Amino acid sequence: MKQILLISLFTSLSLFGANHIVNQKGKTFIPHEITVHPGDTITFKNSDPFAHNAYTDDEDNEFDIGMQPTGEDKIITVKPGNNFSVECAIHPNMLLEVIIK
Amino acid sequence: MLRKLQLLMLLLSFVSLEAQSDGMEKWLLPTSVPQPKDNKLTQERVELGRLLYFDTRLSRGNQLSCASCHHPERGWTDLIPTSKAVGFDGRVGPRNSPTILNAAYQKHQFWDGRVKSLEQQALGPITADVEMNMPLELLIPKLKKIKGYVKLFKKAYPDEGLTQKTVAKAIASFERTVVSTESPFDRYAKGDASAISQEAKEGFELFKGKAHCTECHDGFNFSDGSFQNIGLHDGELQGKELGRYNVKNRAAWYGVFKTPTLRDVTKSYPYFHDGSVKTLKEATVICSQGGRFEHNVRNKSDVMVDRHLNEAEVEKIVTFMKTLTGPDLQIKIPTKFPQ
Ligand code: HEC
Ligand code: HEC
Ligand SMILES: [Cu+2]
Repeated sequence: MKQILLISLFTSLSLFGANHIVNQKGKTFIPHEITVHPGDTITFKNSDPFAHNAYTDDEDNEFDIGMQPTGEDKIITVKPGNNFSVECAIHPNMLLEVIIK
Repeated sequence: MLRKLQLLMLLLSFVSLEAQSDGMEKWLLPTSVPQPKDNKLTQERVELGRLLYFDTRLSRGNQLSCASCHHPERGWTDLIPTSKAVGFDGRVGPRNSPTILNAAYQKHQFWDGRVKSLEQQALGPITADVEMNMPLELLIPKLKKIKGYVKLFKKAYPDEGLTQKTVAKAIASFERTVVSTESPFDRYAKGDASAISQEAKEGFELFKGKAHCTECHDGFNFSDGSFQNIGLHDGELQGKELGRYNVKNRAAWYGVFKTPTLRDVTKSYPYFHDGSVKTLKEATVICSQGGRFEHNVRNKSDVMVDRHLNEAEVEKIVTFMKTLTGPDLQIKIPTKFPQ
């Protein structure tokens, strides 16, 4: 029951939230800054010929996408909280700033 | 008239071909080094840092200085396979002492990237019991008894004086001057086509192309700062170094180490985090054939696959890497220390 509630909560959130596309290309996030609302989703794309692994240790929005091979998409849902930055666990020079409105 | 113009254009296009810097920008050495706001480089700070760097009194037994394991005449390292080092949480793991050349440009320090700034890094080896074994509670009073140092700190950090923080800041300032000198490759990148041999040029093309070395050894420092498991061991890493996984048990960090710079790499043998590789040729073979173990490696980088290089191609890449070595920096090794 709890699970169903959670799932419907998530789907309703993503139904109303906007989706933001962030590409990973040339070992950079494009764009490298996005403004989002809680409930929005971020779709990570990978246009590089090798894997990336976006993650954040932010308190409210902690996630670790895991290995993301070329061409695969990964989607996360933004939770309420403070602005946070996303790094790549493989390429630490990759940085994405997420501004929460 | 038109003819003359055409001729001029033709000439100009030749000139720009000669100057060959097209697409070469990313390989050019930067003209300045990044500095934190609260520790801008000054001559006083660098000079003080140089003295501290070479001063064995920073160790408990007055025997070791930073230079013991990172010596300018030994490629800023110690030329032995492993030195004792303290890992995250005080875990001890013998590791190869890396060069500190260009450490100033790195976003993460240590093979596992456990600290970020040079300031954060500097106090680690001083206090580590297997390194200089000098607790800060003892170090600061010991240095404060040396009047010469008190004076120099006052000059370098007028508002702060001699503290743990300024010891770290001064050493970091000196390290920010330990950067690459102009190598034959740099002259080539700036447009001097005769600066390196034909074999080295072909090696560079292979390095960027068929061998895919730039997937990791990219940019002017020949490292993109990435953390990679290149397959030095097969299966699980039982009893072996776990690399960045020790900093946090993130799946992507299992057995990964920081991609090292290849600048001045001829000077900093032996190679790899465990010092297990003696020659550049052996390193190139391992890195171009998908690691020591091609299969059955947990979390191996997906770009570490066999690139099927032949012996001649490996040799060309080695020849190219040798052109990344510049003349030794002119660093005065102090013979007299503050009293
Ligand atoms: C007993 C030998 C030893 C001494 C003494 C020593 N180091 Fe190190 N140093 C090492 C080893 C080994 C590592 C690699 C450790 C690791 O990655 O876990 C290292 C790593 C470093 C790094 C990181 C470089 C990189 O590319 O990641 C820097 C910078 C550094 N040392 C500076 C210093 C300074 C400054 C001092 C003096 C305050 C010092 N070291 C004293 C052995 C030593
Ligand atoms: C997947 C990323 C990656 C690729 C591709 C790669 N390297 Fe490396 N290389 C590394 C890492 C990481 C290390 C250190 C590994 C360790 O110690 O565990 C390293 C170490 C080395 C070293 C030893 C340097 C030192 O100071 O210890 C040399 C030399 C080297 N690589 C050359 C090459 C060459 C030549 C190629 C292309 C044939 C290449 N590498 C391809 C990541 C890579
Ligand atoms: Cu990445």
